[in-house]
Amino acid sequence: MPAHLVLALIAVLASGEAAAQVRAVELMGPRPFGYFIGDVIHLEVELAVDEPFTFEPASLPRPRPISYWLDLKSAALHDRGSRGGLHRYRLALDYQTFYAPLEPRALEIPGFSLTVTDGTRQVDANVPGWTFLMSPLREILPRGGEPLYLREDIGAVPIPVRTRFAVAIASGIISTLLLGLLAYHRAWWPFARRGKRPFARAARAVRQALREGSGVEAYRAGLLSLHRAFDATAGRAVLADDLPAFLESAPAFRPLGTDISRFFQVSRRAFFQADAAGAQADLPPTALIGLGARLAEAERIAS
Amino acid sequence: MHLARDVDTTLSDARGRAQALQQEVAKVILGQERVIQLLTIATFARGHVLLEGDVGVGKTTLLRAMARAIGGLFQRVEGTVDLMPGDLIYHAHLTKEGKPRIDPGPLLRSGNDLSIFFFNEINRARPQVHSLLLRLMAERSITAFDREFNFPFLQVFADRNRVEREETFELPAAARDRFFMEIEIPVPSDEATRRRLVFDPRFHDIDALIAEVGEGVLDFTELPFIARAIQSGVRTSEALEAYTVALWQAVRTPNRHGIEIEGVDMERLVFGGASPRGVSYLVRAARVRAWLEGREMVVPEDIRDVFVEVMAHRIFLDPVYELRREPIVRALCRAVFDKVPTP
Repeated sequence: MPAHLVLALIAVLASGEAAAQVRAVELMGPRPFGYFIGDVIHLEVELAVDEPFTFEPASLPRPRPISYWLDLKSAALHDRGSRGGLHRYRLALDYQTFYAPLEPRALEIPGFSLTVTDGTRQVDANVPGWTFLMSPLREILPRGGEPLYLREDIGAVPIPVRTRFAVAIASGIISTLLLGLLAYHRAWWPFARRGKRPFARAARAVRQALREGSGVEAYRAGLLSLHRAFDATAGRAVLADDLPAFLESAPAFRPLGTDISRFFQVSRRAFFQADAAGAQADLPPTALIGLGARLAEAERIAS
Repeated sequence: MHLARDVDTTLSDARGRAQALQQEVAKVILGQERVIQLLTIATFARGHVLLEGDVGVGKTTLLRAMARAIGGLFQRVEGTVDLMPGDLIYHAHLTKEGKPRIDPGPLLRSGNDLSIFFFNEINRARPQVHSLLLRLMAERSITAFDREFNFPFLQVFADRNRVEREETFELPAAARDRFFMEIEIPVPSDEATRRRLVFDPRFHDIDALIAEVGEGVLDFTELPFIARAIQSGVRTSEALEAYTVALWQAVRTPNRHGIEIEGVDMERLVFGGASPRGVSYLVRAARVRAWLEGREMVVPEDIRDVFVEVMAHRIFLDPVYELRREPIVRALCRAVFDKVPTP
């Protein structure tokens, strides 16, 4: 990195008081020659002000086209904190030049002013301009007939994507397989009619029945769906008295034994005592849906 | 309202006595709790019972114990090839003075209070006797000496052993259909019970054993009233009715319900039977069982519990399968309950 060239160390003294506020404005730039069209020039400004003055962010130059040949690409302020009664800032500026000189020529990036304030007073700190030398890219009149300077564009280089493509396809296939397995495991569509998952189907049916209707009929339909799931799991009709034998043959449901026995009591009441309202009070529809879900879960764990 | 409460108290009182009856009989008959329960159900449903079992399993002892506990008058007759209907009704003999004399036979001797009529070895009796029994069982009355005799408290118990087939007459379908239940008496399976039965001298003297049963645990004259109260007091719901009808259908047309039994052509297995009377008996028995269990509603378990005893003998199989009847009917009943969903 070339040594920074200290171009200016200026204390512009409008008055003695103002000079006391802005201690230093220092502009640092790269080498001042050997620039071509399109080059980016990075300048830095060091600013030191007396406390309690601080930099006024509104005075930071805005990235914009400054003239027909010069753009300010970016401007960033770094607060370097205060030490010894001085508050220091560093301002980083990126200019890009589009000037096309016919022969080497000195140009100037214009100066600007920054504002510091202590809340009531405002003081300007003037940043000086920066002069540099731009050179042409080629001679004015080419001698040979060769189109020496105008070269063809670089051809497009294909990025090697074969591996990534393969990985993408493989992960796509694996995800589909896993989704299929998950659907199979939880008996989602298209495995919804899977024989080994009667409770998954029943839990859905109970939810649906109780969503579509709220009366006694819907409740009974919900009970019936669960009954059919018990029958399908046991491979035969399961009555209330068969519960111990059922739990013996399907140990996965044993933890739910009390709930299942309650279900059978309630169902007995709803169907054979013709007291569906009382049954509904005993085991509310929400509890019935919950029981269906837990039975489906137990069934899933068992398989 | 008043009447309703009366029925309720009657029923709960009677339930206590029914339990006492079972306990009394179970004191002397070991390892036959199920048979005793079924007999109690039949008693409170006012149904006649046919017992079946090997020789010497205690059929007669059991019936004598039941009869003693139920109370009322008890008559028995042994079935033989030469038994004629008249032998049940009158007894013709010569008196000491040498005059011919006709006395009432076993049926008429006790008059209206006859509560248990026990027909031993019924399959040894001729069809003529069976047909007398038909009316006796169905109407609880017979006509003799040009007048009608009524037996309002009568319950017929019959037994037959299935070991012999010679010189026996198979009961006609109509007679079997009139039996409320046909109960198979197994040999007790529990080893301790078997040992006691064989080695405990208490079980060797049958008369002394029967004397241990408390007499008249029930008032047999109340039985018809209690039976009616049970039938009207125990409810059946719509779901249960549908279930019962579905069971009936499944028994009559098992092939349409996807029932399969190994080595049996289901198309032709069931020849007929499972009569409406049979199904109504089934519901009657189920109601009594529900009442015994302390419920006011019939549940499918009640139906299932009494199904084989009430229905099996009413299912008539194709003659091809008649020889293997017992295992096939049992399998059919089990399959029907496995297949027909409830509620």
